[in-house]
Amino acid sequence: MKNTILILLVSLIAFTACSKENNDTDNELSRVVFDPGHLKFISNSLNPKKKTMSALYGNEKALESLSKENQAPEAGSVMKLVTWKYHDNPQYIGGTITGELVSIETVQADKAGNVSYDLKNNQSRTTLSNTKERIQYFMSYRPVSRP
Amino acid sequence: METVKKKRNPIAILFLAILGVFGGLQLFSKPLEGKPVTGKIEAPREVITILENSCFSCHSNQQNLSWYDQIAPVSWAVNKDIKRAREVLNFSEWEKLSPAEHQGKMYAVLNMMQSGKMPLHEYTLLHPSAKITAKDIETIKNYTFSLSSANTSTQKKTETPQNSSIVPIPASAKFPVSPNGIRYTDDFKNWKVISMSTLFDNSIRVIYGNDIAVKAVETEDFHPWPDGSIVVKSVWKQQELSDGEIRPGKFINAQFMVKDSKQYRDTEGWGFAKFSGDDLHPTGKTASFAKESCIACHRQLAEKTGYLFDVPMKVNTQRLIQNLQKK
Repeated sequence: MKNTILILLVSLIAFTACSKENNDTDNELSRVVFDPGHLKFISNSLNPKKKTMSALYGNEKALESLSKENQAPEAGSVMKLVTWKYHDNPQYIGGTITGELVSIETVQADKAGNVSYDLKNNQSRTTLSNTKERIQYFMSYRPVSRP
Repeated sequence: METVKKKRNPIAILFLAILGVFGGLQLFSKPLEGKPVTGKIEAPREVITILENSCFSCHSNQQNLSWYDQIAPVSWAVNKDIKRAREVLNFSEWEKLSPAEHQGKMYAVLNMMQSGKMPLHEYTLLHPSAKITAKDIETIKNYTFSLSSANTSTQKKTETPQNSSIVPIPASAKFPVSPNGIRYTDDFKNWKVISMSTLFDNSIRVIYGNDIAVKAVETEDFHPWPDGSIVVKSVWKQQELSDGEIRPGKFINAQFMVKDSKQYRDTEGWGFAKFSGDDLHPTGKTASFAKESCIACHRQLAEKTGYLFDVPMKVNTQRLIQNLQKK
């Protein structure tokens, strides 16, 4: 019993020590790369008024839906639109490059074809956006053209 | 009398020997190959004045060398520098380049001046009159920016670009190979996007990294980047929608940078390749093409990030990305 308590205590200390360390590095400025999981890059866009660039990722179903220029995503589609602020490239006059991450929007169509929309951004209060409009906007993307 | 002679002799011999060696060196000092001016750059007078004063001694066929530049062994170093400088940029053979290339070269000139990399420090030390001022840079900047609007245009949305991503991909054996041995691969389409960018030529770019490269970015392992890192930049013409938003239009090229410190020693360990158009035709005539083109700018301007221009900026926190990725 005494041993168990000791082990628990030690592991508790070990865990808190670890998580504290993680917190520190989490808050440090770093060069981050977005991990889209199983989704693939489909297309991107640049908004000169908002000074943002976005990358659209999706699964196979989403790619199909956009290739066919559907009005709504097919059942099983998952799409993520990742938006970044852009800046003049600090290393090259005449170029711009993505900087701060602004938001991640997700559009999903479940098996029955019900479409949902979700927005995550860096503001504490999420501004209510027009779901229908945003889904339509997602559907305006076409897969990039290349060999 | 005899003792004086004995004392003077070694000095005189030494002097004569040095003179002899210098004289001998001159025999091996081939004068710089004179080349005709086939097409001098045309630009406003104030721009030409700056270029002539600070750049032409190396980057043209109109050298204005001091006497000490022409004496061996100094002349060896000077001639080597000039030869290399002309390969990268030659204001006397400007007609060999397209208007788009003129614009690209002027941006390179502007960036080199702004960052203080050109004119070379070793050069201005001996030729102080070639130094450039902030006002000179401003003049070059205004001229360079004026080229942007004249030579490039954003493609207006008239038709949806052909969707070739559905077209079956040919066997990998058919993929083109760059003269330095880098083979085009489709693999990058499955890699993570590390950043997105644009350039003055109205292009929009998406930069992918393989796992080794992504890890190097996240841990800032840039000096040097680990061997095996591959970064691919996919480039399109900008296409403007009616509301002003920009999307990728026609495919221009895919640019590869492959890290192999042993194979690409001359170019800071990076192998460069560019595959353009729908047939992905590779850039370069010889295996060393990147030595005369790509690396010149990458080496001077992107040293901080291990010779890559488009690494993600250090402006985000892991916490933010984790929070936003939460379901």
